[in-house]
Amino acid sequence: MSALLAIEDLRVTFNTRYGQVTALDGVSLHVNAGETLGVVGESGCGKSITALATMGLIPMPPGRIAGGSIRLEGEELVGAAPARMRGLRGADIAMIFQEPMTSLNPVFTVGAQIAEAIMLHQKVSPDQAFKDAIALLDRVGIPSPDARARDYPHQLSGGMRQRVMIAMAVSCRPKVLIADEPTTALDVTVQAQIFDLLNEIQRDFGAAIILITHDMGAISEMADRVAVMYAGRVIEEAQADDVLDFPQHPYARGLIDCIPALGREDHALREIPGVVPPLHLLGAGCAFADRCEHTNARCKTEKPLLAAHGHHPAACHAVEEGRI
Amino acid sequence: MSTLLDVRDLTVRFAMPRKGLFGPRPWLEAVRKVSFSLEKGHALGIVGESGSGKTTTAMAAIRLTEAAGGQVLFEGDDLLSLSDEQMRAHRRDVQLIFQDPYSSLNPRARVADIVREPLDLMDIGTPDDRRARVEELFKLVGLRPDQLNLFPHQFSGGQRQRISIARALTTNPKLLVCDEPVSALDVAIQAQILNLLAKLKSELGLSYLFISHDLGVVRHVCDDVAVMYLGQIVEHASRTALFESPQHPYTQALLSAAPSLARRKSKGYVRPLKISGDPPSPINPPPGCAFAERCPRARDICRKTPPVLEDRGPGRVACHVPGPADA
Amino acid sequence: MTDQTTQSSYKAESPALEAWRMFRRNIPALVGVALLAVIVGATLYGTFFYAGDPFEVVWAPHEPPGVTPDFPLGTDYLGRNLMAGMLTGGGPTLTVGAAAAAITMVIGITLGALAGYYGGWVDNLLMRITEFFQVLPALLFAMVLVTLFSPSLWTIAIAIGVVSWPQTARLTRAEFLKIKELEYVTAARAIGARNKRIIWRVILPNAMPPLIVSATLTIGVAILFEAGLSFLGLGDPNVMSWGLMIGANREYILDAWWPVTFPGLAIFFTVFAVSLIGDGLNDAFNPKLRER
Ligand SMILES: Nc1ncnc2c1ncn2[C@@H]1O[C@H](COP(=O)(O)OP(=O)(O)OP(=O)(O)O)[C@@H](O)[C@H]1O
Ligand SMILES: Nc1ncnc2c1ncn2[C@@H]1O[C@H](COP(=O)(O)OP(=O)(O)OP(=O)(O)O)[C@@H](O)[C@H]1O
Ligand SMILES: [Mg+2]
Ligand SMILES: [Mg+2]
Repeated sequence: MSALLAIEDLRVTFNTRYGQVTALDGVSLHVNAGETLGVVGESGCGKSITALATMGLIPMPPGRIAGGSIRLEGEELVGAAPARMRGLRGADIAMIFQEPMTSLNPVFTVGAQIAEAIMLHQKVSPDQAFKDAIALLDRVGIPSPDARARDYPHQLSGGMRQRVMIAMAVSCRPKVLIADEPTTALDVTVQAQIFDLLNEIQRDFGAAIILITHDMGAISEMADRVAVMYAGRVIEEAQADDVLDFPQHPYARGLIDCIPALGREDHALREIPGVVPPLHLLGAGCAFADRCEHTNARCKTEKPLLAAHGHHPAACHAVEEGRI
Repeated sequence: MSTLLDVRDLTVRFAMPRKGLFGPRPWLEAVRKVSFSLEKGHALGIVGESGSGKTTTAMAAIRLTEAAGGQVLFEGDDLLSLSDEQMRAHRRDVQLIFQDPYSSLNPRARVADIVREPLDLMDIGTPDDRRARVEELFKLVGLRPDQLNLFPHQFSGGQRQRISIARALTTNPKLLVCDEPVSALDVAIQAQILNLLAKLKSELGLSYLFISHDLGVVRHVCDDVAVMYLGQIVEHASRTALFESPQHPYTQALLSAAPSLARRKSKGYVRPLKISGDPPSPINPPPGCAFAERCPRARDICRKTPPVLEDRGPGRVACHVPGPADA
Repeated sequence: MTDQTTQSSYKAESPALEAWRMFRRNIPALVGVALLAVIVGATLYGTFFYAGDPFEVVWAPHEPPGVTPDFPLGTDYLGRNLMAGMLTGGGPTLTVGAAAAAITMVIGITLGALAGYYGGWVDNLLMRITEFFQVLPALLFAMVLVTLFSPSLWTIAIAIGVVSWPQTARLTRAEFLKIKELEYVTAARAIGARNKRIIWRVILPNAMPPLIVSATLTIGVAILFEAGLSFLGLGDPNVMSWGLMIGANREYILDAWWPVTFPGLAIFFTVFAVSLIGDGLNDAFNPKLRER
């Protein structure tokens, strides 16, 4: 069975003041209908760039898709005509951003904005679109949607704004919904509501969800499958339980062990020393080599590839050589 | 064990803009009669939703925000009744670190100067002593002496947080207020900072007032935890009691909302306790319990009479119908 | 952001020295310095090499430049020597510009800083005063000041300063409002820094970049303002200035371009040089740009 959305060997570069840097270095991901793929990784590892590339929204210049392919139901999106991408965006692939305030237009009511999103892709009258918008607001759990549809974004709380974003994103029943850190700006109780809502929406609409987050707890609750990214590469990918219970890559192990978790409070947390190297300083070897306790000479000269050596696919020489 | 900080009925109000030219001035009660105490060498966590008054409580307790009422006894002295000059003398005992590692350091000052500034201001030691102290602090927080003359932007977020910690420790404070010290950091870096704070606590005998919205972090660092909701403490207990047998429905909701590795989608995890809606506005708080409209257990009395924070079992709870969660 | 390896000298240079090293590498700023040096040099020492009375009628009116070797820049509508005017008129023009800008900055920054930092009634009071000065028609008010006190370079500078500070005050206040909320300011309060120190040593340096740019603009505006006053006959009639030259010759610009163009160019290059230097200073004192 071929995946609904398949990203293969995607390479994205940026021109910066340090010269050309490679933000995505051969990323491969896929997601099936009705499935939630979690993407985790430290800040700057390329999670958002992956999402933006899929949406056809990489700023060019300075960005450039230097290679690879993104296929939605077999249709190639890399190099697709801008008009075709506009037709897909919002209809077949939709995205929810981290900051719900800045992604809504402050001068229009939320109802009008949802209605506009609907009319962009469906032939309906403005009246009908507004009615649909109210129904969607109701669907995403906004109380008294009739009244709320006439509110401006600043009159809503952060959680409600994120619900509006979700309503807008699902207005055309997209096949793929990308949620880029949708709850980072929200409180835990509201985050829980948004997560529950995303799950319901997935059940109702059968959408594939790509959930980008840096929170392993969120992955655990939400994801069926997980891809762990580091410095522009996918370094481990498997079913969520496999990654959470048997992480292979030293970075993935570190990520799980450094979470302050229940029942471990009096132990020192496992630390991953150092910081992520900036993209312009990435060398020929494994990007994690400087922070890794299992580094050997090969790690410094040869980039490991994602392949199943042990339990499930990981990109690590130490795992491949059976050293850990 | 002696009490370091004893906060009694602390209240903070902010004036809001008038409606109309001669309308009455609305007040926002950000902190409403909050009382708690902190033992020497302990860490008290304050958790709660955004806007619940965590930062304001802490800032008022160390007099960086003006309180409208109450007392703050620091080793017996009421900080709120000191003159400005007397308070300045107490500043060396209470220091703080912030959430945002980027805006908490003056971008135009070298980090050595940032860390030394408290000594300069309070005129402690000779210039050589001060320099030595700065180097010692750098080592303590895990920075290298060759980084002393750099500017803040030359450091990563985690390193900046270390600089903030060094600055806060310069004067050998007794109390450290940590306002979301790791929220802006990646988990891997977060662990480094949390371990450092734990080390400092045990080595230097520091006390922490530790604000966070991350229950996992609070559970890792704190001995006691106070849960705030709309400017009030709704539950206050030891870490074990609060996390293992929470009594207030809001605490229970918070715990059930916090993501955790123990809950798996593959195992068909469904959140047992859902709360809907947002906290009410602090400008016109409801007459009864502030949580009543979101509370699954609310009764008539909850909407009419505000509950008071009372001793119950191992901790204190402000609820008309306290008890373990039903589910 | 892990370029901390790029600099590891342990002993610190003085900040001024380091700023100078940075400034030295800034080509446009050096061009500005050179340009300004030429202009200032010419106005200070030019008369040693080329003496002449700028007020005296010495030749036929509207002699074009480059025709008579004695008067390389030609003559104005009365037949006065433009070269002499350019050289002697520069000093007063620059003095008035710099003095007016200094007055503007001092008043504007002080009031803006106090209003922004203290807020509340201080802010209200100072902002009402600022608004009062802002709605006054600037030129008219300056005219009144200059006529009340006899027109001299200093009264002119003060008049210009008094009418143009509100802009700077507003800018300073806005910067202060923004910066005082930042956590490093709270951190300074937490270590017991007094308000005075926080205002001048913590917030002001961080508020400087837009203020430096505005100061360089103010110098330009002040020079033009002086020209305007001179044009209206309110300048000091006994002191030649570039503004006075432009003002006097403006009516005849269609007959002769040069009497207006030369002082105009001089003013333009002065303002240009000052703004290049301002940009350079701003960069030099900005640590973020230093290690490149
Ligand atoms: N416009 C740009 N110009 C240059 N580099 C860029 C640009 N946008 C992104 N990058 C680089 O691409 C890399 C990946 O960025 P991306 O936004 O995908 O990170 P992320 O994983 O989403 O991080 P975060 O968790 O902070 O959102 C970063 O190192 C970033 O510096
Ligand atoms: N300077 C101020 N002026 C007016 N209102 C304020 C001010 N500071 C805080 N508030 C209000 O006081 C209430 C409590 O704010 P506070 O910052 O203490 O919350 P918090 O619990 O720290 O939230 P967060 O988790 O977002 O930091 C909020 O409603 C806030 O809007
Ligand atoms: Mg991102
Ligand atoms: Mg806060």
